[in-house]
Amino acid sequence: MMASSYNAKEEDGHHSGSSSHGGPGAIKSKKPDNTAFKQQRLPAWQPILTAGTVLPAFFVIGLIFIPIGIGLFVTSNNIKEFEIDYTGVEIDSPCYICAKNFSWNSTTSCVCSVNFTLDQPFESNVYMYYGLSNFYQNHRRYVKSRDDSQLNGVESNLKQPSKECEPYRTSDGLPIAPCGAIANSLFNDTLELFHINQNGTKQRVNVTKKGIAWWTDKHVKFRNPGGSSNLSVAFQGTAKPVNWRKAVYDLDPEDPENNGFINEDFIVWMRTAALPTFRKLYRIIQKKPNSTPTLSSGRYVMEITYNYPVLSFDGRKRMILSTISWMGGKNPFLGIAYITVGSICFFLGVVLLVIHHKYDTRTNSAEIPN
Amino acid sequence: IDCISHFTFFYYPKLYTPGQRNMYFNRTSFLLCIMQSCYNSLILFFIPYAALHDTVRQDGREIADYQSFAILLQTCLIIVVNAQIFLDTWYWTGINHFFLWGSMAAYFALTFTMNSNGLFFIFPTMFHVFVSGTGRNSLNQPNTWLIIFLTCLLCILPIVALRFIFIQTSPTINDKARKYKMRRDEIPAISLRPPATRRVSKRSSYAFSHSQGYGDLVTSQKFLDKKTPRRPLLFVKSLCKLAHMIIFGFFVTFTQL
Repeated sequence: MMASSYNAKEEDGHHSGSSSHGGPGAIKSKKPDNTAFKQQRLPAWQPILTAGTVLPAFFVIGLIFIPIGIGLFVTSNNIKEFEIDYTGVEIDSPCYICAKNFSWNSTTSCVCSVNFTLDQPFESNVYMYYGLSNFYQNHRRYVKSRDDSQLNGVESNLKQPSKECEPYRTSDGLPIAPCGAIANSLFNDTLELFHINQNGTKQRVNVTKKGIAWWTDKHVKFRNPGGSSNLSVAFQGTAKPVNWRKAVYDLDPEDPENNGFINEDFIVWMRTAALPTFRKLYRIIQKKPNSTPTLSSGRYVMEITYNYPVLSFDGRKRMILSTISWMGGKNPFLGIAYITVGSICFFLGVVLLVIHHKYDTRTNSAEIPN
Repeated sequence: IDCISHFTFFYYPKLYTPGQRNMYFNRTSFLLCIMQSCYNSLILFFIPYAALHDTVRQDGREIADYQSFAILLQTCLIIVVNAQIFLDTWYWTGINHFFLWGSMAAYFALTFTMNSNGLFFIFPTMFHVFVSGTGRNSLNQPNTWLIIFLTCLLCILPIVALRFIFIQTSPTINDKARKYKMRRDEIPAISLRPPATRRVSKRSSYAFSHSQGYGDLVTSQKFLDKKTPRRPLLFVKSLCKLAHMIIFGFFVTFTQL
């Protein structure tokens, strides 16, 4: 009798704390509290896709995108760029002989000269890039093959590089500094630019090799081991990478700020590219103080010390001269994409307006059926 | 759960029919979900790929490197997924706002923390995770943000347009109810139908159970068509999100290998 009345009270859902005379203790009711949070009655807002919100949104987006796209396209078209491929695949290209006769252990380096003409003068800072094609710096095993602690100047990693650098970890029993496949494949062509004057004399174009790497890379990520004093002493007991011609402390002996691991060409190469066709900053041609163009139009010659073999994997090498704008290099894709998307949005807005007008009058008086 | 309150459902039981008829969770809608995630994955990869092809930063330095590309894609993905949740949530409480905007804020906070110099000094060998300076160097470029804006809009706009078209041309009963509620702000409370006249009978329920009963209803096999879904609507949407992210993950992995 008592049990059944206790059960009945439980089924009612009332708090049975007071009716615990029949049970083993206070048993809490399982009914949730009657708060707004637990009964899902929180004040809420409900968005509905009505014509009043969607159609103006489409038109506004269309009207915003088209001017942005035009601005981007015009900016990209104003950037001057010049590209020249110097791999030496065809017989009549200047670097054909160097490309064919390449061997890893040749002591004399092969030099070839490429002539080109600039039709338009280049104003403001001109950036010189080297570009590689069909070079997969984004291959996973390649990307992992480096030791960031060693590159940050940690002494223990200098003598014992990480296992990820295999098989470029040791050479002849000595640890390699810098280790890894990325460092081993450092781009080592030398490109020099000469301007041919009216009277035929060759004049070297002045370039700077500082300021080509990211500030955070040069000052935070890459450090030389053992302070900045004699680098050949700091790197004693290590070997140079297998495919390098000179050791890491000989990369730029004249400038201690650009030697060793903090050499900017090395840092730029170590920042692996995401796509198989990429360009990396090589040198900067600073703008001239008065209003003379940085690179006037005319004939130029580029002298290349051809050290880097790419024909074995069907790659291509090229040199690019480019000016820069607020949106970066010359890439008309973004401008065209914005114009396209803007016009599609506008057109879609018109179509939706027609649909809305046609269908909304039909369903205006529809009631919800019971 | 719709903002139409449960009282409305009580008065208009036909509002339950989309759920009973499996209109929101069937093979067609799952296939549409897969197609949408394939489209999103293609957009999320190829638009930044084409936009960053041979591009550099404002000061001429590199922007198309591996880590910057990865951060760009991740940011686009996070924004697209959050925007999709924004479009699918019909009932916005403070909790929804907190988690949606909070997750985006947490993503940016974590990105900048992982890319800070301090963490790099503590864990320099966790190369793939703690990269120094990438977030700052890539996300402070206007080019990057224009790419993000374009990609996210290109992923979201077809969904909005298609939903709008479907709401206009063939609205489900819930859409009609929402529109009605939006206009009038309160569906007029009709009085309950008077219950079916009860048989005032002195017979006990035992005797009543010996009447014709519901046998023919059971044997007519009408129950086989209507399978009530056991899971609420929100689970379907989170399943779609998961499908999005898995397909995108596969895509990125295949292009890396």
